[in-house]
Amino acid sequence: MMATLWLLALLALARAQEPALPGMLVERRLADAIPLAVGDTVRVRALAGSAQPRPFVVAGVFEREADPNRIARNDYEVRLHLPDLEALLPTHDRVDRFAIVLAPGARADPAARWIESVAFGTRAYGSAALAEETSATFRVVSRFHDAIGIVTILASAIFLLCVMIIRVDERKRDMGTLRLIGVSRRTVFRAVVLEAIGIAALGSATGALLGVLIAQGVNAYYAAVYDTTLKFALLSPRILLLAGLLGLTLGIAAGALAALRVVRVPTERLF
Amino acid sequence: MTRNRGSSDAGPGVVIRARNVVKEYPYAGDAVHALRGVSVEILAAEWVAIMGPSGCGKSTLLNVLAGIDAPTSGEVELRDQPLAGMTEGERARLRLVSVGFVFQRFHLLAVLTALENIELPMAEAGVPRAERRRRSLELLDYVGLSNRAGHRPPQLSGGEQQRVAIARAVANRPAILFADEPTGELDQKTGEGIMDLFARLNGDGATLVTVTHDPRVAEHAGRTIRMADGEIVNGNNGNHEW
Repeated sequence: MMATLWLLALLALARAQEPALPGMLVERRLADAIPLAVGDTVRVRALAGSAQPRPFVVAGVFEREADPNRIARNDYEVRLHLPDLEALLPTHDRVDRFAIVLAPGARADPAARWIESVAFGTRAYGSAALAEETSATFRVVSRFHDAIGIVTILASAIFLLCVMIIRVDERKRDMGTLRLIGVSRRTVFRAVVLEAIGIAALGSATGALLGVLIAQGVNAYYAAVYDTTLKFALLSPRILLLAGLLGLTLGIAAGALAALRVVRVPTERLF
Repeated sequence: MTRNRGSSDAGPGVVIRARNVVKEYPYAGDAVHALRGVSVEILAAEWVAIMGPSGCGKSTLLNVLAGIDAPTSGEVELRDQPLAGMTEGERARLRLVSVGFVFQRFHLLAVLTALENIELPMAEAGVPRAERRRRSLELLDYVGLSNRAGHRPPQLSGGEQQRVAIARAVANRPAILFADEPTGELDQKTGEGIMDLFARLNGDGATLVTVTHDPRVAEHAGRTIRMADGEIVNGNNGNHEW
């Protein structure tokens, strides 16, 4: 079983090969920073306590999973075998956290309750409960994003409606001419709504393209800052589809409202 | 160029009939009397000019006769069809196929070419694409603008725009053509050209009703109706100036 240790200090690096040294896994960012390669020997000690550093051989390099909980902490990670880790720490038989992988089909909650009953003082959580507990901040951020989204949609809808009303008002005389020469209200209505749909579709497409480009820029920037594969801005096909449908719906609504304003007016008052 | 004449009627029957037409506009809790019991009859293939000072009600009369505006009371018939009982859709259809309009300021759609402007009422009337294209080109030729088909209104002179507007007005071969100050925005020479075009249309059988301030325009008309203060003062059917 592999355990995880936040690297407290890297004391020394030795290139000399020593046989039968315990192996350790090194996070890719750390391997890049030092640099380290598989087969290198490092000496590690815990910051707490006065234990002597112990040599390890780099057995592999791993990519840490993108985790928003840890993105702001710029610490590095290595993975040791549990006995090696225990030997490094000043107090044996003491650990902060264990991760236990259950067999397929096993239920997490009863397992957690059982662990708590047999290991006094231990608190066990299922991964869902743990995620729930640790992601409270992100839920707040997510709600904040929802609020921004709703305000943006409302503002866009009002903007689109204003654009359509202005466009229709600017061409009120044209509408009057159409009505005067016998073009039916239905045709005028349809023309305005179709134009609104066109504007909304163009706006949605432009917005989606801008969104994709900006998301790529944001992700590239933060990937460079935090050296992470975490996606800070995500535009999934579902989001794009939703945005497109929303844009078209708003376009139809704005066009219909603007068109109603003009077709309800008696023809002679359009001049 | 062939045209419809009057109603299904080949003869010179009455195509426009108005009886005791009153038009009032509410204003500040009171009523402004734009038309005070106007009665008039206009015959097929007749050219009538309506004259009078500003505010006398001549444009209101034109709008009422053409079915654009509804009278407060009285009756209007276009080609024996009373306008009073018509829905807005029926009146729009009547304006589309039986009536043409020419405005002082042309009112062409700037986003369309001259050809497309002429095609527009035909498209609404359901004329097939090839037929309306052929007829539009024929009309452009009729008004002397066959070389301007692809030009948009801002690229045309005032006189040319008015010619396109006239071509659009007669696109669906209406029996009656209404014109409100058709030379008001044009210089004298260009205006004369427009009057010549109206004369040709009238000669081809179109009934023309023209509102104008300009006595020279009225000279071309077969009859002049003079209005003052919402009433016809002379030139109606009881007092013709033929």
